[in-house]
Amino acid sequence: MSEFQIYLLEVASDAPIEGSLIEGITEANVNDWEDAWMPALARALQQLKEKGVDRRLWPQSRHWDWRRKAEAFKGLLAAPSFSIVCQGMTQGLMIVETLESCRLLQQKGKPLVYIQYLETAPWNRPGLTTERPRLTGVGTLLVRAAIELSRSEGFGGRIGLHSLPQANAWYANVCGMSDLGIDPTKENLRYFEMTPEQADAFIAKGV
Amino acid sequence: MKFEVTKEWCMKMARLEHEHGTDVEIGAGLFAADPSTQQPEYTVQESADPRIAFGRFVRLMRRGRKQTLEKLAEDADIDITELVEIEEDSHYTPEPRTVYQLASYFAIPSAKMMQLAGLSQQRDSHLVSEAIRFAARSEKVTDLNETERSALDAFVAVLSEQK
Repeated sequence: MSEFQIYLLEVASDAPIEGSLIEGITEANVNDWEDAWMPALARALQQLKEKGVDRRLWPQSRHWDWRRKAEAFKGLLAAPSFSIVCQGMTQGLMIVETLESCRLLQQKGKPLVYIQYLETAPWNRPGLTTERPRLTGVGTLLVRAAIELSRSEGFGGRIGLHSLPQANAWYANVCGMSDLGIDPTKENLRYFEMTPEQADAFIAKGV
Repeated sequence: MKFEVTKEWCMKMARLEHEHGTDVEIGAGLFAADPSTQQPEYTVQESADPRIAFGRFVRLMRRGRKQTLEKLAEDADIDITELVEIEEDSHYTPEPRTVYQLASYFAIPSAKMMQLAGLSQQRDSHLVSEAIRFAARSEKVTDLNETERSALDAFVAVLSEQK
């Protein structure tokens, strides 16, 4: 299980905090989800309820069960997974697939890395916490990991995903991915795809 | 896989992410498509399934508090239809959030409730045997009788044990 050094931005101190991007989701990560993510999510949902926020606007990933996801994909060579750990706690999780192919006309049929599931810890999500998010950069680094996996598989950095509604603008504007519109076969989520050129441009934003 | 990022790249991109403020929650994936719903073969299929006790436990806790299904659903902020499933179907696997809400409401450690509900792997064989014993002692009858009360109290004590 490979581990790579990364840095996240601690919002309160505006300082970089060293962490790790790890290939794989372990029992420790799943225990973090059960013992820390779920209680934090429940508190956040309670606050949304008290504020009278419509349930339709609550995070749709609130029903996700990472233990089941990790178990279901465990050992599948075509479904690598990643975790980001920082300050002794799991900060983000992602499962991808390498058997999907591109839909975008200019690269149709070519292989890509499809992001099956991506989620960051509740305390890092600005829409969920009443305070400032604790750490930022988790989602960005997971997308970067998908791009690097795509490159190492010979897919040129091509990735695809069905975006959670709150993230549509980020994938379109910051990641610069192509928006292929609502996919009626996938719960009406928007499908986004990244070309090798878009992957280069995304990475160049941080240089 | 090769993965090399500089501290500067991480910081610049993290600030970019942060600048987008409260509108952005980075996430991807079908929200209703947990593998569990697509692969029903992945469930806790132990011979001693503590889920038998979960629905019984919730029912007795509710009745012990003289609550209707509607009242418990409202107070614990869970879906009434799911509460009915929990109480009526001993093989029903509830949503993680529902179990957490019930655990908070009944003041029971959520990890044990998750295990009882079949949502986490069994890490505590003592809990499993106690759950089965509890299920065996608690009958589905209208009133909470002395036997049920005693079984419920004993089981709450086991669930509340701190390791």
